[in-house]
Amino acid sequence: MTSTHANQQQRAGIRRTAWIVGGIAFGMFVLFIVKQFIWH
Amino acid sequence: MATHAAEHSHDDHAHDDHDHKPHGFINRWVFSTNHKDIGTLYLIFSFTMACIGAAFSGVIRTELMKPGLQFVQPYFFNQMTTMHALVMIFGAIMPAFVGLANWMIPLQIGAPDMALPRMNNWSFWILPFAFTMLLSTLFMPGGAPAGGWTMYPPLAIQGGNSVAFLVFSVHLMGISSIMGAINIIATILNMRAPGMDLLKMPVFVWSWLITAFLLIAVMPVLAGAVTMLLTDKYFGTSFFNAAGGGDPVMFQHVFWFFGHPEVYIMILPAFGIVSEIIPTFSRKPLFGYQAMVFAIASIAFLSFIVWGHHMFTVGMPLGGELYFMFATMLIAVPTGVKVFNWVSTMWGGSLSFETPMLWAISFVILFTIGGFSGLMLALVPADFQYQDTYFVVAHFHYVLVTGALFAIIGAIYYWWPKWTGKMYNETWAKVHFWWSVVFINILFFPQHFLGLAGMPRRIPDYNVAFADWNLVSTIGAYGMFLTPIMMFAILWQSKKSGAPATMHVWEASHGLEWTVPSPAPFHTFATPPLIHDEDLAHGDITH
Repeated sequence: MTSTHANQQQRAGIRRTAWIVGGIAFGMFVLFIVKQFIWH
Repeated sequence: MATHAAEHSHDDHAHDDHDHKPHGFINRWVFSTNHKDIGTLYLIFSFTMACIGAAFSGVIRTELMKPGLQFVQPYFFNQMTTMHALVMIFGAIMPAFVGLANWMIPLQIGAPDMALPRMNNWSFWILPFAFTMLLSTLFMPGGAPAGGWTMYPPLAIQGGNSVAFLVFSVHLMGISSIMGAINIIATILNMRAPGMDLLKMPVFVWSWLITAFLLIAVMPVLAGAVTMLLTDKYFGTSFFNAAGGGDPVMFQHVFWFFGHPEVYIMILPAFGIVSEIIPTFSRKPLFGYQAMVFAIASIAFLSFIVWGHHMFTVGMPLGGELYFMFATMLIAVPTGVKVFNWVSTMWGGSLSFETPMLWAISFVILFTIGGFSGLMLALVPADFQYQDTYFVVAHFHYVLVTGALFAIIGAIYYWWPKWTGKMYNETWAKVHFWWSVVFINILFFPQHFLGLAGMPRRIPDYNVAFADWNLVSTIGAYGMFLTPIMMFAILWQSKKSGAPATMHVWEASHGLEWTVPSPAPFHTFATPPLIHDEDLAHGDITH
């Protein structure tokens, strides 16, 4: 999933940003499922 | 019509904007990775969904025109209220803002495209499947989901198998939104042209950067909550089933932890749009640019810590009710800053009232009415009276229709000449505006009176005492049903035979999007533009 327009330097930044932001999203999902098991 | 008097012959960075459109309909639209085409697809999808959602509201308002059951059975009425909300929120308002983001963010920050163009294609094309799945439930045995868009258990999971379809379609919408948000954040943080500092970005871009973080934080929570609904119904779990040791109220907490930021997801980009339009037609820079950005960020932060105000009557400790009441009222502070700054931008400006400006001004006035009724609902003792009445329906329709939708329509009239290279008929566009602003108030303002008089929401029948204002409200709805047709005709006529638009389109437009030709070429900013601060709307933040 690389960019067709970004330059080499931007690509590294895009990849890093996408993983961090995607990680936050996945983290929120896991956090709430786990929370639900502990406190329901 | 204010147009730039002297068309610049060619700007210094449009020379490499060759028109390499893919050949063939399928290649151009189904496999598109171009931010402009994907933006167009989002906007067309959103318009289609808005028409379907409006048809559902037509059933609701027709049934409510007179007391008694006239046209539909109560169970079908419940399906209509549920589907109207789901389609309008997830199918019309959100995709419209994402469409505008796709079109405008790369143009406004001087980027050649979105950071992840193929993921962008995927984000869009998930949506038609999600909504086909959701709408197909109308034809299933047992009908569509009927427990309200809030999907509260145990009611929501007592329906037929439409629950599974609803859950999977919400998953798909969530995946689409999360991928869209990742793309927007990655684009804004990595693809800005040299010199486009964060605090020089247009407010629309700022509003979307903040909105994208809201999406990232809350869509997974919704996905988690609906997954648990699914397992409760089909796999014997008891997350929200009291009989099995679960807690149905917990769903409400988790849902509104998503739901309240969701409300701001639907309004922050509208703030951004209005902050673009008002300076242009006031011929002044935006008053308090930095304060506007910080206000959006503050509202976004506060949106995470106020969810309990949706649940005052559910039951919670007094301390909790007081906390959520005061935290909610705090939101009025940054919102007040924004309204003050929009008015201050107009103050002393050389105002003109082209169509986008009319929508923006009506947004400021009518959204503020929705804000004030929100403040009333934030008061715990008052909310015990207002909760589940038509007052709440009036409140959120002022926020979402005269707020979010009016801003979207204003944005379309503002940027349409840049997208298509064609002007529209200003007289008819103004007719569209005045028709909408009159009928929307006939539609929703009486609902305040009905709510205060005690008419409950989500009912197909009501006491005869409420008959008069319901009839008025339905007349307003029928007037509003003409507006999508009007808008479609105006834009169709513009596309076919509108006068050519100039590069700047509006006399006082500032920002990188106005430095490319009209219509914006298929590829823009293939080489990063040279940024002159005076070209930017906020190039000099000391204004």
